[in-house]
Amino acid sequence: MINSISDLYGRQLSELDVPQKLLASSAVHQRKAVVVGRSITCSRCGSTLERRQAALPNGHYYCYVCIQMKRMDTRSQLVFADEPNQFSKPEHALSWKGQLTPMQAECAKQIVRIFKNHQRHLLWAVTGAGKTEMLFEGLNWAISQGYRIGIASPRIDVVIELFPRIQAAFKTTSMVLLHGKSDQPYRYSQLTICTTHQLLRFYHAFDVLIIDEVDVFPFSGNPMLHFGVQNAIKPTGAMLYLTATPDEQLLMQIKRGKLSVSYLPIRYHSHLLPEPTIIKVRKLEQLIAKEMLSKPILKTIRSLVRQKQRFLLFVPHIKDLAAVSAAIGHDNLQARYDTVYSADPTRLEKVSAMRHNQLDFLITTTILERGVTFPGIDVLVLKADNEIFSAAALVQIAGRVGRNSSRPFGKVLFYCERKSATIRTCQRQINQMNQRAKKL
Amino acid sequence: MKNCLLCQASIREQIGLDDLFSLRAAKPTIICQACASAFSRLSATPVCQLCGRKLTAAMTDPCYDCQRWEKQAAFSFSNRGLYDYNAAMKTYMSRYKFLGDYRLRWVFMTEMKVAVTRTKRLVVPIPVTEATMAIRGFNQVVGLIDNCRFVNALTPVAATKESNQSAKSRADRLLLDQPFKLVSGMEATVKDAKIVIVDDVYTTGTTIRHAARLLYQAGATSVTGITLAR
Ligand SMILES: [Zn+2]
Ligand SMILES: [Zn+2]
Ligand SMILES: [Zn+2]
Repeated sequence: MINSISDLYGRQLSELDVPQKLLASSAVHQRKAVVVGRSITCSRCGSTLERRQAALPNGHYYCYVCIQMKRMDTRSQLVFADEPNQFSKPEHALSWKGQLTPMQAECAKQIVRIFKNHQRHLLWAVTGAGKTEMLFEGLNWAISQGYRIGIASPRIDVVIELFPRIQAAFKTTSMVLLHGKSDQPYRYSQLTICTTHQLLRFYHAFDVLIIDEVDVFPFSGNPMLHFGVQNAIKPTGAMLYLTATPDEQLLMQIKRGKLSVSYLPIRYHSHLLPEPTIIKVRKLEQLIAKEMLSKPILKTIRSLVRQKQRFLLFVPHIKDLAAVSAAIGHDNLQARYDTVYSADPTRLEKVSAMRHNQLDFLITTTILERGVTFPGIDVLVLKADNEIFSAAALVQIAGRVGRNSSRPFGKVLFYCERKSATIRTCQRQINQMNQRAKKL
Repeated sequence: MKNCLLCQASIREQIGLDDLFSLRAAKPTIICQACASAFSRLSATPVCQLCGRKLTAAMTDPCYDCQRWEKQAAFSFSNRGLYDYNAAMKTYMSRYKFLGDYRLRWVFMTEMKVAVTRTKRLVVPIPVTEATMAIRGFNQVVGLIDNCRFVNALTPVAATKESNQSAKSRADRLLLDQPFKLVSGMEATVKDAKIVIVDDVYTTGTTIRHAARLLYQAGATSVTGITLAR
C-alpha cells in the first residue's frame, strides 16, 4: 500500500492505488494511462492498441498488452512524482574485498567512465567472465553521487541470484528486490534489482540502469519491455547492457553508432571457452519418440556416470524429458537423475538438489541455459539442430562448462542429425571470442 | 501466423482431419493446442444430473450437495457445466474477470453459443453489481454470450445490511437473501417462458438457484442453467 510520497518518487502507478491525500499534493502529477487519438496508445507500456481488441462495452478502451501489471484503461490515471534522489552519499559504500583480474579491472574502470559520461553501452563479456564483480566499482561511484540505480534482467532466476551478491557487497546501501513472485513490499531505495517487467512501474527514476542478459526472452523482441526501459531511466541516465550473446537488434544499434561496445573475450580464470564437439547421430528424433537413445549417447552417459562426472543433458521440448528419462531408465543405469522445465512446480528444489551434489545429472529444457552455475559440469545437447536452440542458446549452454578455475575445461557435446546453420553460428561465435582472447 | 490469446505463443493455422471432412468451416484458432488441452470438457465424463459436476467413483448421482438442495427447494432445477473448474479454468477466470481482460471472452464464445442456442430457451444472464460494472467495465457473463440473443431480465438488489446471519438456518438464508429482482417491464417476457440462466461458474449453486427461484416466482414454467465452468 502507498503511504508516503516517497513511494511515488520515480514511479508510475494507478491512481486507484494512491490515497486521496497524496493525490492532492502539488508534488504528485497525473497523466492519462490510455489515450485515444488518431490511434489508441498506452502511456505505461507504449503499445499502440487495436480498437476492436481494446474496446470495452462501456465505451472505454483498455490496454491488453501490459494488463498483467493491473489493467489500465481510458479512465485510469498514471500517478507519479519526480525523482528527488533523497539518498546519502557515502564516500565508500563497497564492502567487497575481493580481487579483480587485470582484464576485469580494466572493464570495471570503463564502466565507471560510462556512468560518468551518461553513455549507452554494451559490455559483451563471455560466459563466466565475472560480470557482477566488474560492476562493483561503477556501482560504488554511482552510490557516492547519490544516484538512483536499477539492475534489471528478463529472467527471474537471474535477479534472485544477483540480489544477495549485490547486498553482500554494499551492506549499508538501501536496496529492494522486485519480481512477480516476490512478496517483499516496495520500498524507496537507492538500488532496485528487478525483472524487466517491473520497470513498467517506474518513470524517469534511474540515473544508472543496467540490463543483464539483455538478449533473452521475454525482453528480446518485446517492444513493451524496451519501452519500459526507456521510460524507467532518466532522460540523462546512463545505460549499460550486459550479455555474452547480443541479438541482431543490439548489433544493429552498435552499427548505427547508437550504442558503444566493449569486449571481454576471456574468462576470469584466463582459460579459453570450451568449444563444442559435434556428433552426428541418425534418427535421434524417432528413437527418442520410442523412448530410446543411440548407442554412442548411452555409452557416453554411462561412462560419465562411472567417472562421477556430473552433467546437464539438454533436450529441445518438454515432451522429450519423459522420453529421454525413460530411455535412460530402460538402460538400467545406476544413477541419480531428474528432469526439469520452466513451469515445473519443483524446479527450484531440483536445481538445488543438483547444486548440492544430490544428483548425478539433470535432464533439462533451455531453462537452465543461463543464470545458474554448477561447478565442474559437462553438457550434452540432444537434437542440437532443433530450431528451439538458437545460436545464443547454444553459446550459453556451452558456457555452462569450465567456469570454475579448478576445472576450467570440460566436454560440450552436440548430438544432431546434421550440422545446422545455427550450430555453425554458435561455433563461429565461440571461436571468434577465443581468437580475441588469444591476442590479449 | 497469429498468437495464442492465452500464452502468446505463435499458432500456425491448425486444420485437423475432422475439419477437412466436416461441413463446418475450420475453427478459428484463438488459443494454441497446449493451452486448449489444459481445459477439461465435462461432456466426456460422467456428471451429476442436477448440477453438472464431474463425478468421481465415490460420488452418487445426484451428488450429495444436490440431494440437499432437492430437500429444501420447492422447484426443479438442473445445470449443465461445459468445463471442469480445474486449475487452467481458474487461471482463465482470474485473468478474464479479475484482471479484466475482456478479449478472453472470445476463447469460449462459440462453444457457449452452441450450448445456449441448443436449449431453445429464453436466455437470461446473471447480472453483476453496479460497483463491479464500474470497475470492470463489463459483465463477464454477457461477454461470453455476446453473440447470442438474450434478455437482461435480472438486476441486483442494492446491498442491504446483513442482519444477524448466524441466527438464521441455511434454508432461511436462502429464502431471505434474494440478491436479484426482476427488471421492471420484464414480467410479461418471463411469464410462461422456458428459461436458461447463464453464469460463468457454478460453485455452491446458491447464486444461480436464487435466480431460478425468482424466475419461477415470476411465472416461468421451466428454468435450467448453463455455466462455462462447474
Ligand atoms: Zn499498456
Ligand atoms: Zn497458448
Ligand atoms: Zn450435483
